[in-house]
Amino acid sequence: MDPAKVAAAQQGDALALDQLLDELAPYVRRLCARIAPAAADDATQEALLAIFRGLPSLHAPEAIMAWVRSVTVRTAMRLVREPDRELAAGPAPAHGDVPSFEGLADIDDALARLPPSQRAVLVLRTREGLSEREIATALGIPAGTVKSRLHRARAAFREMWEA
Amino acid sequence: MNNPAASPDIDPIDRLTILAAALPGAVVRQRHITASFDAVWRVVADLEQATPRYEPSVAHVRIIERHGELLRVLVEDTAGREEAMDAKLRPGWCLMQSATVVVAFAARPVGSETLLAHLEHRRAPAPVPSQSGSHQRRAAEEKIDQELRTIERLATQGRP
Repeated sequence: MDPAKVAAAQQGDALALDQLLDELAPYVRRLCARIAPAAADDATQEALLAIFRGLPSLHAPEAIMAWVRSVTVRTAMRLVREPDRELAAGPAPAHGDVPSFEGLADIDDALARLPPSQRAVLVLRTREGLSEREIATALGIPAGTVKSRLHRARAAFREMWEA
Repeated sequence: MNNPAASPDIDPIDRLTILAAALPGAVVRQRHITASFDAVWRVVADLEQATPRYEPSVAHVRIIERHGELLRVLVEDTAGREEAMDAKLRPGWCLMQSATVVVAFAARPVGSETLLAHLEHRRAPAPVPSQSGSHQRRAAEEKIDQELRTIERLATQGRP
């Protein structure tokens, strides 16, 4: 991501904003689809709105991807916790720690059945390749919490996958 | 299983909403137009002929460069002042920017009709702030509403 292009977008250059949107949207959508599969479209739009509304507050244009990741993950987590959206998720559990194993189709399906907080850390660690510290920053939680959620998520995933 | 992370293009109307979020003070209005997407977009995309017909302050528009979706246009206002604008134009999306203003259109088909959204944003402060902010905003909204009605009329002209 070109920091000069980001800075131009921050100054209200509409064509730079348009180009930035083209570059960020696929990443934001991918994260939202993995963390909030039942609300991916809404989460993507809300995250992009929050990102573009908050763009002037970004002090370091070169750090835009970490900031975008944090805004996106928090937005997706907020939406996936809303009860009506969780109902729409079908087999995914709302807040429980015991996912259903019935009719498991593939890895994405297994991930979608994890509780949202566990799904988020597992997606960020295994699919996005983030360190535990980066996950903690993105989610705004202590590194120790990331470690314990990862442990529970891996155990649940393994149990689901091997069932 | 469908790939949930597949990345379709952003809907143009959603794109306009996101762009507006980054441009404080931008005014956006939208209208359901009783004409097909093709008919509406034929008007919006005809920058040289159609713009002076719906934008009261514009006398002439001339495209001076074109590289795929990217254009450079010269806009002459009714007082004879000329200003260069950079533009991006593709079906459903038109974004134009000069040193002082941003103008954008977004459209999507809704059945046999069209939802058309229009954004206007002044990059530089207005030279004579003789009206309050709310009055200026209302005036800007009324101006855009009028432009959308004119575009609807142009898009439906000659329709059986």
